[in-house]
Order: sequence, then C-alpha cells, then structure tokens
Amino acid sequence: MSMRLTRKIYPVRELREGDKCEYSNCILTVNYDELLQVAKPYSKNIAKIWFEVYRPGEDARIVHVMDTIQPMIKTDTPPEWGGKEYPGILNYPYTVGMGTTNVLEGFTVMECAALPWDDSASSGLLYVRDAIIQTTGFYRNYTPFCDTINLILNYEMAEGKSAEEYDNDIRKSAMAIAQHLAKLTIGLEPDREEVYDNTAVDGLPKVALVWMCQNQGVFADTLFYGLPIDNMVPTLLEPNEMLDGAVVGGNLAWPAFKIPTWIHVNGPILKELYRRHGVDLNFAGVILARSHQPSNWHKDRCSQSIAKMAAQIGCEGLIMQWEGGGNAAIDGMLTVQNCERRGIKASTLTFEFGGKDGTEGQLLVDDVPEANAVVSCGSWERTVKLDAVKIAYGGKTMRLDKEKGGYFPDATQAIEFDTSVHMYMSGNQSGYSKITAHAY
Amino acid sequence: MSKLKALFYVNQFFAGLGGEEMAHEGLHIFDEPKGPAVGVAAMWKGEMEVVKTFACGDNYINLEENYEAVKPEILKLVDEVKPDVIIAGPAFNAGRYGVACGRVCDLITKERGIPSVTGMFPTNPAVAMFLRKTVIAETTETVAGMRKSLPILAAIALKLAKKEPLGTASKEGYIETGIRINEVDENSAANRVVSMLLAKLQNKPFITEVPLRKEGRVDAAKPLSDYSKVKFGFVTTGGLVPKGNPDKIRMYAADSYGSYKIVIDTFNKDNYESVHGGYDTTAVNEDPQRLVPYTAALNLKERGIIGDCTDYFFSTVGVGTNVGMSMKLGADMAEKFIADGVQAVFLTST
Repeated sequence: MSMRLTRKIYPVRELREGDKCEYSNCILTVNYDELLQVAKPYSKNIAKIWFEVYRPGEDARIVHVMDTIQPMIKTDTPPEWGGKEYPGILNYPYTVGMGTTNVLEGFTVMECAALPWDDSASSGLLYVRDAIIQTTGFYRNYTPFCDTINLILNYEMAEGKSAEEYDNDIRKSAMAIAQHLAKLTIGLEPDREEVYDNTAVDGLPKVALVWMCQNQGVFADTLFYGLPIDNMVPTLLEPNEMLDGAVVGGNLAWPAFKIPTWIHVNGPILKELYRRHGVDLNFAGVILARSHQPSNWHKDRCSQSIAKMAAQIGCEGLIMQWEGGGNAAIDGMLTVQNCERRGIKASTLTFEFGGKDGTEGQLLVDDVPEANAVVSCGSWERTVKLDAVKIAYGGKTMRLDKEKGGYFPDATQAIEFDTSVHMYMSGNQSGYSKITAHAY
Repeated sequence: MSKLKALFYVNQFFAGLGGEEMAHEGLHIFDEPKGPAVGVAAMWKGEMEVVKTFACGDNYINLEENYEAVKPEILKLVDEVKPDVIIAGPAFNAGRYGVACGRVCDLITKERGIPSVTGMFPTNPAVAMFLRKTVIAETTETVAGMRKSLPILAAIALKLAKKEPLGTASKEGYIETGIRINEVDENSAANRVVSMLLAKLQNKPFITEVPLRKEGRVDAAKPLSDYSKVKFGFVTTGGLVPKGNPDKIRMYAADSYGSYKIVIDTFNKDNYESVHGGYDTTAVNEDPQRLVPYTAALNLKERGIIGDCTDYFFSTVGVGTNVGMSMKLGADMAEKFIADGVQAVFLTST
C-alpha cells in the first residue's frame, strides 16, 4: 500500500503585471482582467474582486485574511481513476496522490474579505473573525506567508446573500485563479522535482499522522474531496492525497487555530515524516478525523476508532495533531490515551494557556496521564504587541470586538491584543512555526 | 577591573559552628568563605570573590520573632559589603535550611534589589514558598551530591552578579518558576514532534515540553435524592446576555460573568442574545429558554418536583477561558448561590 507522486517545482521569484498571464524563468506575469474572467463563473455572489501583491521584505500587515491557497495543477494522473488537484472543489472527486503535480513555489493566492457581520452571514462561532498577518518582527514567525509572494484577492460581496453563498464563491473563485496560474507551467522545465513515495522499508516502525480538523458549520468547516467532514468517521488517507489537495481548509472562525489550505497541502508534519521515511520510520498513512466531536459519546467513538485503525495498519507510533481549541484538545488527548492503551506510542503538539506569563491557571485545558510527549507550540494567551507598519493589505481597517459593537482601528497602526486570537496560524497547530513556550 | 563581590549564607553546620545542638545560634559573620562557599569561589576563576560569609542556626532563623529581629542586622551587613549577588545554601532537601536560605535571599533581593540565588532539591518544601522570589538552582537530594550541585550554583551566581539575563531553566539548571516565554526555537514544532516520537519509539530519553496539569480532576457530585425541598439556580456558559451585552462579556477567553434577573414577559428573543463565539447561536437567539429553561423550572416547582428556583441566572462565555479563570468564576458564583440558599444548579453548556 503506497503511492508515488512527483511534484515539479516552479519557483516564483518575481511577480509582474502584463498583457497576459505567463510564467517564464521564475517570473510570474499576471493580467488582472484575465484573472477576473477566470473567476467570473464563480462570482455570482461577489460584487467586486481587486488585486494586491505582497512581496517578501515589505513592512506590512495583511488583514481580513481568509484562506491561503497553494497554486498547483496535476499534469499526469492514472487515466481510469486519477483525480485532479483539489478534487471535489473545481474538479471531479476522483482519488488523487499519484502521477505528477506542478507546483508554484514561494507564491500563494490569498483571499481577503470583510464579510457582513449581520445575522444573514454570521452566528456565534460561524463568522469570519478578522485574521491578521504581521510581516515583520517576532510575529512574522507564525506563518510561512511573510516569505512568499502573495497575490491578494480582495472581495466585496453582493448584498443580502447567505454565508454559504459567500463561502462557496470565494473559495471557488480563488481556486480557479490559483489553478489558472499553475496551468501556465505546463510543458515547461521545472526547477527541480520532489518525489513522494511511501513504499515500506523493512525493519522500520510504522507511524501514522492523525490530522484532526474542525468542522462545525459554514466558516468553520474542512472539506474532504469537496464535502464537509461533519459526519465523517476517521478515514485512512495516503499521505500523497493530502499533498494533492484532498483536504481543503474552510475554517475561518478562529484565525489563531485555523489550518489554511496551503498548510493542508504542504503539511509541515507530513513533510517531516516523509523526510524520515525509510530512514527512521515507515510513513504508514494519514488518519483524517473530525475534531470538536459534539459529546463524550462521540469523542470516545472517534478516538477509539482512530486507535483501532492505527493498530489495524500495524502502527507502532502515531502523531496526534488537532485543529481548534479546548474542545478539540479533548478529542486529541483521548486519541493519545486510546493509542497508548493499545501499545501505540504517541506524541502530540499543542498551543498552551497560562495567562500573561505562564503562571496563571493551567497550561492545558485537558490532558491524560499517557500524554508524556507533548510539544509546545507557544501560548496564545500572551499579549501581542504589533508595531505600526508602512502598508496594509486586505483592508484599510481592522475589524475587532464584534460582541462589543465593533472596533475598527487603522490597519497600519500599532496595536496590542490580550491574546493571539486574531493572529493567523498563531496557535501553530500544524507545527509550522518555531515559536514555542520556553520554561524559565 | 575590580572583582565582583558575593555575600554567602550558610547554616550553622556548614559554617563549622556545629550540628543540630547549635541550631539555635544567632547571626555569625565571617570574613572568609565557609563550607560550600570555598568550592563555589574557586569556580569563578578570579572574576568574583566571596567577601563575607554569614550564618544562622536553622532553628533560630525559622522562628518568626528571631527572623524579624535579625533582619536589620542582615541588611546592615549587606549595606556594608555592597555585594553584587547573594548566594545561600545549597539546602538540598533540608526543609528548615531551605526556608532559611529562601528568607535571606528574598529579604535582600526585595529590600535592596540585589539578585540572589540558592539551591534546593525540587521537593524541598521551601521551593514552593520562594519560587519566583529568588533563583533556586536545582541540586541533588542530599549533600552527597555537593560536587554536582555547586557548579550550577556558581555559574548562575556569576551571571546574576554580571547582570546577564538567565537563559531557560533547563539550560541554566534552576528550578522552573512557572514563567514561560514565547520564543523562537531552533526547530519547528513539526520537527520536534517527530523527533520526540522517534525517541519514544527507540526508547531514548526525551523531555515533554508541556507539563501535565497539576490539579486533580473534579469528581461529579452525588445525585440528589429528593428535589422537592431544593432551590435551584441557573448557570450557563452559553453566552446568554441582555441585548447589547451590557457587561461586555467577551465572546472568547471570558474573564467575567453576568447576573441577570428574569422577567418572564421580557425573557425572549427581542431582549436577549448569545455573544458566545464558539458555536452556532441561531437556535439560542430564537429563544433564550434554550439556555435558561426558566418556564420549565417553574412548571417543575408548581408540580412540587423541585422546591424552588431563582429568578435570575449567571452567564458567561465558555470558550478559550483558561481553567484557572473558570475556577475563579465558578467559585464566585457558588458563593453567591450559597448566600441565597441555592443548593443545586441547572448548568447548561453548549
């Protein structure tokens, strides 16, 4: 049981505007009218799209960030059953993970929008909380997107539509633009190739990655081959399916804890397991599951099922990753416990609490005695102090404190937050960041 | 450059005054290093010297009235010597000696702003008393490990005297204070979580980065056998508030709760809403009684199934609030309920 995928890498070192979209010698030329045409079939509920470009090195802040997409296109798939990139979104949901995929490296398509706060498109959890990327200083370490050229798609939505309609159109139009740009590489020589093949090597322990994602409704969903994973039981994936976009992030409710699609397809833990595959371990698979299981009954059912699946494929070790806060931590910890009870060794990673300096309250919402190998992703409760920046992308103001009637400071000004909740990916649940909480 | 100056504290035993029989001794001051101070001073390679050693009997300084009496004498010594750092102990796992070392360090650091360091075994009861008041180097359990423990103490003392910031607890060898600082590590969390698993699989040593919770789990209360005389209160973590959120309860990481009187005629969707940021609030916004089932409780009361219920409810937002804050809010609610004769609570979570 294994898959072989070749990623052809096409770096983007410069982005220019031009008469038509083109990729040549690491220079990506974009024509915005052409891109608008590409987005048009998916723009029924969109009033306007306009473009901005962030380039690495700028002293900038990006606000209203929604999903960030890795532009890629599959050029070679098994003829009878092979699917295309991001199956189930723009493409038919055939299985992916085999063949060849062209990837634009160092470049993202980033959605930014100030969606309506009224009841039609907002309910409790289910609204797009303002997500912020600061490209300079300490906080740049939260995301990979300070070092990538980001084509920012700014959206103004048509009035009076539903959350579902906004969510759908933004995702599909951004995906279409990403796909169009990746398509420019077809037939060109790549800079290099990366081969992902998890054929088992004798004598090494099998290890699985549990990839547990939030799914609680529109703006807090994760899509698997195009559908939310709400009622999905834990499902075994080949790691390469992840690389080709079988899982797409739709969780926009919690900027700190969300996993953007770019991360789903460039999973830091997944790539680390691949790096050690055949050397220290056998990468046996990814177990995709839903976090935020609604009750203890559901949580026991899900976590036991994951442990059984890991045992069934012969795993000796497992890495537990979850997306989300306290609720999801319970799912994660129960999974660690159930695996250890079956003799499968587990490590996990989590952001921590601890108040302003680590001494307030508890560091974790939940734990189990078996969780003796926990990596700290830093605390989200520390004060975040953002310096003023020269330029803002994605919007002119920040949109904060909805429950208190709203607060809209200038997007370039210095600002302090009690927690890192507004900082994109600051919970570090994908393991991308080097930020951790050191004990003093 | 002149040498840095250390002032060293030891107990009667390490000062050479005697054992337990001399534990009542008051303050003694010596012009030379005594006991462990000799070994420590040698490790500074001339950068710092122990200018004086002072000592008290363990029983003497542990007694409150003696400690109060000797404080001014100690501070007088400090003002004469003007040391760059205070070093006490190490006390290993000795409880009284630990308290003595902690007191001396805490006093001088607090009153004179001079940094201090002592050394103890982690289970020494004085550790909890003086954590974050002074630096506590981690030592072995008994004096048998003196040779292993002193270099740690010496290195920390020198850094403190030079006013250099201390690194992490594990790097410097002091007992963790509980303070945790967000910093950039050498490796990504992804890299570390895989390395940790491999160490576990290969039976190699590894250190977890997040200690498990210290406080125990809360056992569920015993069920009530007879409700008919019991007055019920209402608590919800579902974020129900009067429209406009008058108490400005936060939609996540709440650090407060509200107390709201229920008037049945106005207890409806026109006047109440949920500000909770962790679930779909549509159903609750249609009817606040989905979180606070007031009419249902009145009905139970009328039928004699429950004794009574309050005409108010406590409400907060249960998402992203840390456990410490939750305990504090819960204790405060419980106190108010008890004062009001409430013996049971309908607690609706979401």
